[in-house]
Amino acid sequence: MLSGVHILSRARNRSVWATTPQLSRRALSFISVAVGLAAWELIGRFLVANSLFLATPLQAVEALGNMWIGGELQRHIWSSTQEFVIGFLIGSASGIAIGLAIATSRNAAAIFNPWVAGLYSTPIVALAPLMILWFGIGIWSKVAVVISVVVFPVMVNTESGIRATSPHLIEVARSLCATRWQIFAKVSIPSAMPYILAGLRLGIGRGLIGVVIGEFFGARAGVGYLIVQSAEAFNMPAMFAGVIIFAAAGIGLTAAFQALEHWLLRWR
Amino acid sequence: MEMRSNHAKLQVHSLTKHFGDLGVLVDVNLSVENGYFVSVLGPSGCGKTTFLRIVGGLESVDAGEIVIDGHPISGPGRDRSFVFQMDSLLPWRTVWENTVLGLEISGTVSDDKDRAMALLKLVGLSGFERYYPKQLSGGMRQRVNLARALAVNPEVLLMDEPFSALDAQTREVMQTELLRIWENGRKTALFVTHQIDEAVYLSDSVVIFARRPGRVQEIVRIDLPRPRPLSIKRTPHFIEYVDHIWKLIEKDVTAPSNVCG
Repeated sequence: MLSGVHILSRARNRSVWATTPQLSRRALSFISVAVGLAAWELIGRFLVANSLFLATPLQAVEALGNMWIGGELQRHIWSSTQEFVIGFLIGSASGIAIGLAIATSRNAAAIFNPWVAGLYSTPIVALAPLMILWFGIGIWSKVAVVISVVVFPVMVNTESGIRATSPHLIEVARSLCATRWQIFAKVSIPSAMPYILAGLRLGIGRGLIGVVIGEFFGARAGVGYLIVQSAEAFNMPAMFAGVIIFAAAGIGLTAAFQALEHWLLRWR
Repeated sequence: MEMRSNHAKLQVHSLTKHFGDLGVLVDVNLSVENGYFVSVLGPSGCGKTTFLRIVGGLESVDAGEIVIDGHPISGPGRDRSFVFQMDSLLPWRTVWENTVLGLEISGTVSDDKDRAMALLKLVGLSGFERYYPKQLSGGMRQRVNLARALAVNPEVLLMDEPFSALDAQTREVMQTELLRIWENGRKTALFVTHQIDEAVYLSDSVVIFARRPGRVQEIVRIDLPRPRPLSIKRTPHFIEYVDHIWKLIEKDVTAPSNVCG
């Protein structure tokens, strides 16, 4: 019976802590945010008790409520939403189209690449004043700013996604007699999807910044406009209310988009 | 059901292929009759995979010609389909969507749907239609690859070491499965491998390639009854074949292979 090997009778009990690490970490995050907000509230109330420089979270929320009741908040949100949605849709659609063109046609690459190289790392928002000059202080100047900041990350990601397509999978399709177009539609595009979606997610963040900056330089309405106006009038609660709206929009849109991404890329 | 008829399904005439100065294949001549299972066996670097890729139309030739059913080929075609090594499934497509990829490309999914379903059942994947490749084991993925290749109903089935990435046990299971599936229709098959026992177990004939330059060294006919249970691998007759082939390739395998410069 001496075989040099035998079966151990029982596995040892695992630590109780090991069973709920996620839960306790989530609690930790929650506590962190709560403590931060409480500190902000206390500092605003007792240390920097000067309403010209700082509003507390509760004051900002109160301002939000008042502006909502007065109806002006809805007008600002609607304006910014239009600018963001129209700009994001046009910017991402053209970003995907140009990215696909660059990845598949050498001529298109020759036409677009110098511009991409020059403009990709340029802070395009610097052109915002020019956009206001060209398109006026209505929503279209802001739409133009959003387009110009969204188009680049989407384009660059689309291009690298198409280029990253596995040559082996292309060969698989080729062995099944796929045409160039079928290879593109059935292999390259789905394989580039993770890249394209990552580009769109970047575009969301940049587009929101585009809205704010565009409205800073000239607008009649919008949440960015609300922020500048309130700052100039030293109305800190209203200014922080505007910041809260952008923060919520950023968090909400990114989370929603991540859920969409998760679903679209469920095969990963 | 005897589906074999004695005509050449696949003919290879004076095939020559160079990569730069290196002669990968030199004057390969071969004729495969309809309904036969033929393995191409040889040490690595003997050009057997290149040979299969040329038959599949995935690689060009420098000289010579491949003829299928009397027609010279000029690229991939619907008369052949290819089973690659691992990870040839499109990861974003389910088992079902991968199986019908070839049918989608030829625009015949609706016509051939029933046959594709029957094939999935044949390869043992009924009930897995909606799974993604990442949820499958290596053996299951190769079953899908096989189903995808058979779904287009090719004249010749080309397989390039399809089980080489599987563990030893799964590999043996897949060999018997392949034979079971192949018996159901007996398509002309070319199977590239470097494992002698795999070649003997599966094939009617084993084509032995020598290397530098790649060429046909010998063809060994395997006279073992079908269907073949796995236990046939332990019969003296089987072992004789393996020994015989081993002696044929031993010199080539043990010779120094990394002659640089």
